[in-house]
Amino acid sequence: MFAQINHIALVGALLQQMCVYLVVAYLLSKTPLFAPLMQVTVRLPGRLVCYLVFSGFCIMGTYLGFQVDDAIANTRAIGAVLGGMMGGPLVGLAVGLTGGLHRYSLGGFSATACAVSTVTEGLIGGVLHLYMLRRGKAYLLLDPAIAFGITLVAELCQMTIILLLAKPAEQAAHLVAQIALPMVLTNSLGAALFMRLILDRKETLEKYSIAFSAKALRIAERSVGVLVNGFNAHNCAQVAGIIREETGVGAVAITDREKVLGFGGVGADHHLPGMAISSAHTLRAISHNEVVYADGAALPYGCSVTKDCKLGSCLVIPLRGAENQVIGTIKLYEPKTKFFSSLNRTLGEGIARLLSSQLLSGRIEEQQRLLAQAEIKLLQAQINPHFLFNALNTLAAVIRRNPESARQLVQYLSTFFRKSLKRTSNDATLQDEIEHVDAYLHIELARFADRLQVSFDVPDDLLELRLPAFSLQPIVENAIKHGISQLLEPGTIVISARRSHEVLTITVQDSAGLYQPQPESDGLGLNLVNRRIKLRYGEAYGVTVSCERERFTRVAIALPLENEALPC
Amino acid sequence: MLTALIIDDEAPSREELRALLALEADIEVLGECANAIEGLAAIHRLRPQVVFLDIQMPRLSGLEMASLIDPAAMPHIVFVTAFDEHALKAFEEHATDYLLKPIEPQRLAKTLNWLRSGVRQASTLPALSSMEPLRQIPCISRSKIYLLSLAEVEYVHTDLAGVQVVSAERNGVTELTLKTLQERTPLLRCHRQYLVNTDQIAEIELLDNGAAEILTRSGKRLPVSRRYLREMKDRLLIS
Repeated sequence: MFAQINHIALVGALLQQMCVYLVVAYLLSKTPLFAPLMQVTVRLPGRLVCYLVFSGFCIMGTYLGFQVDDAIANTRAIGAVLGGMMGGPLVGLAVGLTGGLHRYSLGGFSATACAVSTVTEGLIGGVLHLYMLRRGKAYLLLDPAIAFGITLVAELCQMTIILLLAKPAEQAAHLVAQIALPMVLTNSLGAALFMRLILDRKETLEKYSIAFSAKALRIAERSVGVLVNGFNAHNCAQVAGIIREETGVGAVAITDREKVLGFGGVGADHHLPGMAISSAHTLRAISHNEVVYADGAALPYGCSVTKDCKLGSCLVIPLRGAENQVIGTIKLYEPKTKFFSSLNRTLGEGIARLLSSQLLSGRIEEQQRLLAQAEIKLLQAQINPHFLFNALNTLAAVIRRNPESARQLVQYLSTFFRKSLKRTSNDATLQDEIEHVDAYLHIELARFADRLQVSFDVPDDLLELRLPAFSLQPIVENAIKHGISQLLEPGTIVISARRSHEVLTITVQDSAGLYQPQPESDGLGLNLVNRRIKLRYGEAYGVTVSCERERFTRVAIALPLENEALPC
Repeated sequence: MLTALIIDDEAPSREELRALLALEADIEVLGECANAIEGLAAIHRLRPQVVFLDIQMPRLSGLEMASLIDPAAMPHIVFVTAFDEHALKAFEEHATDYLLKPIEPQRLAKTLNWLRSGVRQASTLPALSSMEPLRQIPCISRSKIYLLSLAEVEYVHTDLAGVQVVSAERNGVTELTLKTLQERTPLLRCHRQYLVNTDQIAEIELLDNGAAEILTRSGKRLPVSRRYLREMKDRLLIS
């Protein structure tokens, strides 16, 4: 009867003890120390933390225990079993040894039995760890039910060990009769709750990061390509709107180094695009190239425009362009009535990085556009002096022999120059290009006399198709310069055009087969044409060269057909 | 009387120059060639006093060709070019004579006057032309002109017909002398009349009289004279 009352009191006391235990565990879960415990750990630093933490719990369990019959009823087992489960047999053994030796040092008739059983419990946890890992079911180790079960088994072992080892035997039997049920119950329950705590913490973190990535992803998706078209008021207002909608902050502003470019949200009535930057925080973010966070408390925030502004806190993140130079800022605001969520603070920096890289790629595209324009000028100006003087030399000879053909040659020469010099637009019809090349080839035909034969195979219905001007002539010139003119025997050039599906392919084939890939700077004409087409229509189009040595070189220009309607 | 040869790959160019030279009573044009390989042969055959040499020609440029002419047959060379900034700069520096296309008659007259007065061209050709090792040997076989890649060549030897270039596939005659080939290629002298490509040697058989015989990869045999055997062993690191 007396023993029965003791039982219930002991269960209550041990449960209390377990609560203290769990509160400590909960507090610990808020520290970085807990991070390695949130997963089944196999790496050394994680194992070390695991050992330290669970040894601590082991010893704490002993101290919080109650004296019963010169022995201690306690929750030491939780630390040992969980240590083994999370850290493996070695950690389990180490935790068990630490906890066991500590218990042993406190004495009592069951000291040896308790020490041995603690080590055994650690090992039981460790063996389970190993078993689950081998079966590829490590996730089960975090299951509270499993933790309950294994601790139950471990505690039953402990009771057995006490019965076997503790002397005198009658006293041991009495002790076990008293503590077995309360200890087995509370320890198993404690282990299960402890595991639940770990799981909760893990799930919270995962939810946070899922929400974070989802938001970041949506902002990236919606804003992609906007700033690429230019860092101006219109695009910035659009992006500011997107960011505000997705993050749910009070207001969003985007500035360059001097003025506000876009603003959306609370206070839009007086934060107007075009206004010069007046906030000290923003100026600081720009001049120091750093993130400034004015939470409205530690760092006061006040609207620099009007006192009636509802905005109460502000995060300013620099936007960085080439070479990490600050080119502007993005600002997230919350009204005075709202706290700045840490999620949005972290997200803010991610958004700034995203916008920065968009701006950078926009600049690169702009530069490429300019380059392409410059390159046309270069192609235009690149009337090969060899060609010019050789043409004049040919002309001199032909005048002597046949004034009538010389007159024709002069016509071709002027057609060629007129077409080369008077291209104002970037576009030309295939017909223009063919005429240009035809004039060019007539001069080369006179120059190389019987060493060159030319044939055209271009269906009439393709002649009106449009393509970038100067796409064909540099290729034909290459075929002469690096092909026919290097032949000891006569050669031919065939120029043909075909459409298949939505692709127009223009082919220039010479019979020399002497093509050698040139480094970027050398084969200027061919590479320029290729780059220009790729820049304009994408990687699927452009110039491809195939060459069979001493048999032929075939240069194919692939262009999309739908560009018929494209403006110049 | 000055004998001249025109080497230019463009027919109108040759025609024009010939027409201009025809106006001079004391110039006799011995012939025209449409490429450097033919040109080399023609120089050695016709021994003109002056050669009008185009620079830009297929495969072998005028400059490369000039460096391959047998010094014994070296004519006075007048380079002719339409546009060649680098070459012109070199010509100015070395006081080499050159003409620009289209050729100005007055300028041509000046050149011809220098030639008539017997002012010899400074022997600066080697400095002008790239003295890079040859990678191909210009050959003529029957009616075909070609460049034989040096790696293919097994050996070169002289006989009554000229300098024979022998490869596993085909044989040709080159205008280059053994001396030029020895200087401008890695071919190794193994006999007064033979150069061998050491990469193509399969065996060297030593004979009782102190001479030797080379067996090439394609099974051709050529002699090694005692005089060159020593040197050849050194080159091949045989002691």
